[in-house]
Amino acid sequence: MKDTNVLEALKEALRRLPGVGPKSAQRMVFHLLERDREGARQIAQALLTAVDRITHCKRCNNLSEHELCAICASPRRDPTLLCIVESPADLVSLEQSGVYNGLYFVLMGRLSPLDGIGPDEIGIPRLEALLNEGAIKEVVLATNPTAEGEATAHYISELVRGRHIRATRIAYGVPVGGELEYTDRNTLARAISGRHEA
Amino acid sequence: MRVQQQPAFILHQRHYSETSLLLDAFTPNYGRIGLIAKGARRPRSRLQGILRPFQPLLIGWSGRGELAVLTGAETEGPDFAIDRQALYCGFYMNELLMRLLHRHDPHEALYTCYRSSLSALRADKTNEAILRVFEKHLLREIGYGLVLDHDIGDNSAIRADALYDYIPERGPVRVANPDLNTRHKGIRLRGASLLALANETLDDLTTLREAKNLMRTILTRHLGDKPLYSRRLFYATTAPTVAGIERKVNT
Ligand SMILES: [Zn+2]
Repeated sequence: MKDTNVLEALKEALRRLPGVGPKSAQRMVFHLLERDREGARQIAQALLTAVDRITHCKRCNNLSEHELCAICASPRRDPTLLCIVESPADLVSLEQSGVYNGLYFVLMGRLSPLDGIGPDEIGIPRLEALLNEGAIKEVVLATNPTAEGEATAHYISELVRGRHIRATRIAYGVPVGGELEYTDRNTLARAISGRHEA
Repeated sequence: MRVQQQPAFILHQRHYSETSLLLDAFTPNYGRIGLIAKGARRPRSRLQGILRPFQPLLIGWSGRGELAVLTGAETEGPDFAIDRQALYCGFYMNELLMRLLHRHDPHEALYTCYRSSLSALRADKTNEAILRVFEKHLLREIGYGLVLDHDIGDNSAIRADALYDYIPERGPVRVANPDLNTRHKGIRLRGASLLALANETLDDLTTLREAKNLMRTILTRHLGDKPLYSRRLFYATTAPTVAGIERKVNT
């Protein structure tokens, strides 16, 4: 009976992954054990290494293998620009856009008072220390355009302006390649109010 | 039970399973209700941009009990586009409703008050008067309305120029001799502030300060030990901003 316990434990473990229900967990288990034991070892080893080695960059708070992540350590990035994002995934999206050349700060969340998430929980004291170093000339607020994301952007913009640093907010608008007819009305309203010289 | 085209505001939402949302919505006829919005977080879900706080909605749901299933939602006009200070105030009102309203108690008048308060909030002000009036209506709706028009000691009308001690759960008692230590345990304030709260004409700084002190003490009794997290947003609003607003009021 011991066998089944090990199998069940593996299924349970896999179900912790996002998007994995009991059915797909079972498929993964049988796939790995029947067809790809080498792959299974690889996954296990990669997970252990990652969990042991990856921490948070001491400067930008992003996930990093080193004390200072590759972006913070790069001499090619503009150290006067700081972009604030909610999550590592948001940072990756911005990096893929290829137009931003400054540094980042990752909040690992957003202000969400009704969930008890306040300034301390999203690393605001660390951000303030970074601003106090004096190198940053502009802070780009790239939190999500949700109510919580907006509150977070406003909160940080006050800290930034209080130190006489420029605070900017990413623009909202119609998706490139999209059509006005299918754009929701709040997005359109913001696209109109945020219009610029053509 | 099937409900359709009910006006609503989302008070709070959190993720549920991979693609869904758990919502707390505030409606006029059904009060605060819990809903599950299935598939609302799928990438192309039409609901994603709609189910947000401060957006007037018309919603439908089916089922009864603690969690009903959202069957439809559409916007009822543009959102209130509340921003900056107004956003903090909006979260504050939502947190009060989440904490003080039981689910499924209808509050039609309070819904109207909430809606008009939202539309009155301004991005560049502290909006204190709006919050105090909202708190007053909220307390009345949950059965703890304040006494603001008469002295509970002798039933005489409140005098603007007199001083009162407001005794929680009871009401204001006139302070006969302000120099003597009061024998009542109460919140001291001017009759003018009580009347301003009654008439919803809170406009000078002393009145606003006294009304805030009164409301804070009374609300704390109903909220218990757990703090209001949205207040932390106001506290941290840095000193220059607060000073800036006060300057604006004074000039
Ligand atoms: Zn870094």
